[in-house]
Amino acid sequence: MSPKRILVVDDEPGITRSLKLNLESTAGYEVRTENDSARAIDAARDFHPHLILLDVLMPRLDGCDVSARIHADPELKDTPIVFLTALANNEDTGGHAVVAGSTVYLAKPVDTDELIKCIEQTLLTTVQPRRHAFSLHL
Amino acid sequence: MNVPFQVRLPSVFLTDDRTLQESGWFGCARTVSGWPEPAIVGLLLGLVMAVGWVDYLTGVELSVSLLYLIPITFGTRVAGRSTGNMLALASAGVWLVADLLARHTYGHWFSPVWNALTLAISFLVVVALLASLREANQGLEQTVARRTKALQAENAQRRQAEEELRHALSDVRTAHVELQRTQFELVEAAKMESVGRLAAGVAHEVKNPLMTLSLGADYFLNRGSENQDQAQLVQDMKEAVHGARNVINVLLDYARPRPLQRTSEDIHNLIENSLTLVRHQLNKQHVTVAREFDMALPLLWLDRTRIEQVFVNLFTNAMQAMPPGGTLTVRTLASIPLGGDSNAPAGVMVEVDDTGHGIMPENTGKLFEPFFTTKPPGQGTGLGLAIVHRVMEIHGGSIRLSNRKEGGARATLQFNTEPKEKL
Repeated sequence: MSPKRILVVDDEPGITRSLKLNLESTAGYEVRTENDSARAIDAARDFHPHLILLDVLMPRLDGCDVSARIHADPELKDTPIVFLTALANNEDTGGHAVVAGSTVYLAKPVDTDELIKCIEQTLLTTVQPRRHAFSLHL
Repeated sequence: MNVPFQVRLPSVFLTDDRTLQESGWFGCARTVSGWPEPAIVGLLLGLVMAVGWVDYLTGVELSVSLLYLIPITFGTRVAGRSTGNMLALASAGVWLVADLLARHTYGHWFSPVWNALTLAISFLVVVALLASLREANQGLEQTVARRTKALQAENAQRRQAEEELRHALSDVRTAHVELQRTQFELVEAAKMESVGRLAAGVAHEVKNPLMTLSLGADYFLNRGSENQDQAQLVQDMKEAVHGARNVINVLLDYARPRPLQRTSEDIHNLIENSLTLVRHQLNKQHVTVAREFDMALPLLWLDRTRIEQVFVNLFTNAMQAMPPGGTLTVRTLASIPLGGDSNAPAGVMVEVDDTGHGIMPENTGKLFEPFFTTKPPGQGTGLGLAIVHRVMEIHGGSIRLSNRKEGGARATLQFNTEPKEKL
């Protein structure tokens, strides 16, 4: 099975770089990073990610705008998005991911293990919903 | 009782007007005055005739003439001036007839007529005096009755005005308290809004670098290292990032200008929930929990999440104050609010006792200051009690910390019950 493709969009190169290294080495994902949110849609169209990790506060286009464009794109509209936000804290997110509609929020700074767990769960529930319908343990 | 000069009045002086009036002459007068007037007049005329008969029988005996005064006085007293006058004239007439019939004792016929005239005039004077007395008395009674009625009306009015004033005062007092609270909340909200904005800004700027550090540390941890020291250093970095993240989150929580979401709550449910949240730690630290609940307490109007946060913070503090284990006692009781206004509804008091080392005297003034902690570095943010204090404050309650005589510390929370309409 080919590795899952994850697109990481964050304006901090330090974060995208370390996320790429961690996710590739720990979970074996194929990760592409993008520091310019305005180019995120093009990157997604080009890369066809299984999931997008998206920062909320970014210059030019913020995470919400990017998310709206992805949802408006017929090719990308089903791609699950996990938001990484520095605005929430533990109490808001209950220490873990918060699911709002089809959108998942994670509070920064997040541990690699926690992030991978969240990505796996999101992929399980959104990418292959039918095949795993009877074995969901959320 | 030891009264040196005690004067005992005869019982007749001690009776009130009513008993006095109903005795003897007055009682008789009262009974007769209930009769129809012709009956009274008939009776008295009969009496006059009877005296006339005695007069006739005794001849010139002057003292008998005085007996006429009985029906005259009685009639005037009971039926008034005109009846009195009529009886006086009738008495003089009867006297004249009686005397004329017994004339053999007199020399001249004019003598009894003259005497009758004199008697009639004397009787009329008596009647006039008695009638004036009676009328004056009646007038006085009417005046007293009128004045009494006016006074009663005035009293009732004054009482009503007093009642209205008391209501108004109570309203003003309630409004004042409400105003003070609103003002406090407004000032606090404004203050915390700027603090919150600052904290959110700082948090955002700090969390991104922290994330980079955390992920970097994760990377090295997952790659593993032959070098023990390097591995330990990376682990320390990771823990440092965790510590910093906790401080920022608690700070954000402390500074966030979130309005209270109040609901009507039973304080015991909140205590039990909070105990469940820390149960695992309680077991681990060998702390036993003792509950002394007063189950008849009123419901409280408060933000459930924030009050649970208060309890969790207090329980955690208590736990950490008794490292080898001990007893955590949670007590609830009814109380009068600190304002001391006895009209105000009773509040609820919660005491959290531990069997730890208590509070050092030098720290008493600093316990609620943000970032003050007596815990070893990395174990406490120093914001726990500051948050507890703030949450209690915005709820209109209070918290007091003290040492117990038996040893250990006690946190006393005071919740004031809100006016009923809010519940």
